[in-house]
Amino acid sequence: MEFLNPAALYALLLLPVLLIAHLIRRPPQRVYFSSLLLMREFAGGSRAGRSGVPPIFFLHLLLLTLLLLALAEPSLTSRAVNIALVLDNSASMQAVEGGQSRFQAGLAEAENILRGLPAGARVDLYALAPHLARIGEAGLRPNDALKRAAALKPLDVGEGAVDHGAELPRLAHENGYGRLYFVTDHPAEGQSATLRVITVGRPQNNLALTSLQVERAGLDAPRLEARFEVRSFSNVEEKFQLNIKAGGKIIATRAYTIAPGKSVDASLDGIPAYPFYEGEIAADDGLPLDNRRFAVAPPTDGIKILAISPRPGGLDSLRAIPGVDAQMIAPEAYRKGKFAPHAVEIFQYSAPAGLPDVSALLILPPSQNPLVRVADGAGSPIVTGWREGHPLTRYINFSLFRPSYARPLKLGLNGQAVIDGVDGALAVAFERDNHRYVALGFDPLPFLGQRNLPMSIFTLNLLQWLSGSQSSSVGTGTPLNTILSRGATLLGPKGEKLDRQTAALYQGIYRISAGATEYLAVNFDNAAESDLRSSTPIRISEAHRAGGERPLAALLSPYLLALALALLMLEWFINPRPAGKAA
Amino acid sequence: MLPPPFSADFLNRLEVLRLRTRKEVLSNQPGAYTSPRRGMSLEFADYRKYSPGDDPRYVDWGIFARSDRLYVRLYREEVDLFAYVFIDTSASMGFSSPREKFIPACNIALALSYVVLANHDHVRLHALSEANPSSPFYRGRNRILDLIAFTATLSPAGAPDLGVSLGKQLKNIHRPGKAILVSDFLVPPESYRHALNLLRAFNLDIAAVQVLSRVEVDPPFAGELRLVDSETPEELNLCWDDATRRAYRERLERHNRELQSYCHQNGIHYSLYVSDEELSDFVLKTLPAMGLFK
Repeated sequence: MEFLNPAALYALLLLPVLLIAHLIRRPPQRVYFSSLLLMREFAGGSRAGRSGVPPIFFLHLLLLTLLLLALAEPSLTSRAVNIALVLDNSASMQAVEGGQSRFQAGLAEAENILRGLPAGARVDLYALAPHLARIGEAGLRPNDALKRAAALKPLDVGEGAVDHGAELPRLAHENGYGRLYFVTDHPAEGQSATLRVITVGRPQNNLALTSLQVERAGLDAPRLEARFEVRSFSNVEEKFQLNIKAGGKIIATRAYTIAPGKSVDASLDGIPAYPFYEGEIAADDGLPLDNRRFAVAPPTDGIKILAISPRPGGLDSLRAIPGVDAQMIAPEAYRKGKFAPHAVEIFQYSAPAGLPDVSALLILPPSQNPLVRVADGAGSPIVTGWREGHPLTRYINFSLFRPSYARPLKLGLNGQAVIDGVDGALAVAFERDNHRYVALGFDPLPFLGQRNLPMSIFTLNLLQWLSGSQSSSVGTGTPLNTILSRGATLLGPKGEKLDRQTAALYQGIYRISAGATEYLAVNFDNAAESDLRSSTPIRISEAHRAGGERPLAALLSPYLLALALALLMLEWFINPRPAGKAA
Repeated sequence: MLPPPFSADFLNRLEVLRLRTRKEVLSNQPGAYTSPRRGMSLEFADYRKYSPGDDPRYVDWGIFARSDRLYVRLYREEVDLFAYVFIDTSASMGFSSPREKFIPACNIALALSYVVLANHDHVRLHALSEANPSSPFYRGRNRILDLIAFTATLSPAGAPDLGVSLGKQLKNIHRPGKAILVSDFLVPPESYRHALNLLRAFNLDIAAVQVLSRVEVDPPFAGELRLVDSETPEELNLCWDDATRRAYRERLERHNRELQSYCHQNGIHYSLYVSDEELSDFVLKTLPAMGLFK
């Protein structure tokens, strides 16, 4: 027999209270009677024994015990010999509570489960991150599974967008597991006999360094600045200190205060040049992992642009921008691959067949483009809104921002509108695989210069943001083969050589060796994992709770409740109510 | 003005009753009860050979004609009755209140006394208590007021032994008659047997009236109780439930059956009166039915 809600068994600690209540109950009523002659012989039948506890106490005790046991939802189970143990080794399991991490607490729970299994039981061990996968061979003995589980470590990777409440029962059903234990820090809503969610950890306050970039102050400026964002997942106001480290020392530091649930965006100027940087917030919070973040320095030379246009002369103005090295080609030449290495591609009135492997800007793209849907015909060039705080909209007075021609853009699956017009978006931007893409429904380049200052600032913002991708980082869990060029080797944060078929599982500075050594910042980037106060609950639907569990488990709660009800009626009949009057 | 239930109608109905005795009584005054002595009543008793000096009026001339011998007819002497009414005044008679049990017991004693007084017989009330007070012999129906005044002086108290108290009272009784003992008889069988045997030893014709209150027959208790004896400091812890109630009632019925059986075996009239019954019904219906009245 097992309990689906074992926490309710703590309520059994209330039973001594019942004894105390009986012991301190009102003393028996003192009643005079004419003669006790006829009562002496059954005076021994007084139900208050030597201990002062009447027999009705034991009935009350049984009644209360049954009710509490029913609350714990006992189930009669045939001992499952084929079980699965799924360990949540995602980043949030690194959260520390009481001197040990959630993952260590989960391992202790797993050890309890495995040690409670019969000798013939077979265990399949699964890890949740980077994706749900079995660890080791199938059908491990409990002791072997315990050893393998002890060798696991939590990764710097968040969980995928998987509905565990549906996925895990499916896994149990497909593999014929009699029981699937899921040790995680997510709470569970509902339980079933097959899927047992064992939750570890408590809600905690946490701060997360969610962004860190070291960029040049301008396209041609040698000065570097560090831009960062810190989010609060705390319910109190927190103070923290941000340190920027490079070359083994702290090169910049500043203290901040952050309100509950808010974020802080700030920048630190005067950052000296180093190959890579580490940002760290010094705060005593739940998850140390998201207190650190890494960034690499932007390239020292200017930005190399490949401009593709049916009228390449229209892009000549790009060459007037300091620090920009632009090559103008026609779309046919682009399709033939006749161009020099570059960091940014600008397509004017044209578009590539697919997303290019570098950052790209699409100016008035045709309807056949891989980025956005373009409305038919011209639209109003009036700007109705823009995204505050976005690097593309910095320093721009939008009351003076007036394109002469615009075609509204419709958002596709990717991207977000940065500038909105009357008929749709005028600028759409998004990032993928360490590259940045922008689509514009107007052409800013003919107006470059003093004649249209807002448009010029916007152009400079565009080029700076697109070139900034060279110093941006990738998130943990990103497949390495999408980052590495052919023939390059990759060393992990601790100098270990990594297989390009795997994913970046730990955050840090990775070294890419392909001739010269390049640096790649890999950062944990999952706000859901950083939020230790409100973990998403695992909802076990009724269908999964009922499906295929009856042969293994029979809930005893209804029977216990029925028995308790019968005892209550029995108590009602045999336990007299207190007398209304004294004889 | 007599207290209830002694209404005019009740008294009129009592006046037609007369106590029945199973034994012959002795007295010096003529009355309605048979004496063992020969006397002048109309009830034939025996023959005796004529002796000189016998009144020739009592010679049975029929026997003389048949046998040529002289016999005289002897007749029973009929004398008046001396009735002794004993009222148990122990503390248990005051349970649950004097009005509940003791006053009904006194009223029974007074009703029976009035029957005796109305027949111009002698009656005396005895209180079975530690002080053992008793009234004088009264005769004549108007003396009921004296008896009422006597009972008004009584109150249930103490824990006198029934036999011992009765023994003290019997020291003042010198002629046989009718003894009526009114008590709850909630004493051990040895005690009431001792008391009744004392009355038998004094050659008294005995009637026992057991008076119980409804609370004693069916106690309205419930739950955990600490019962205290009204006569002794004895205490009992009880959980009064249906089982206890049934056991008590069985025990009381067995106790009463034993008392009734003992009375039956020893020629004692026995009757049980539960105080919530109508007193007039008990006196005018129940007691005549058991043969206490002629």
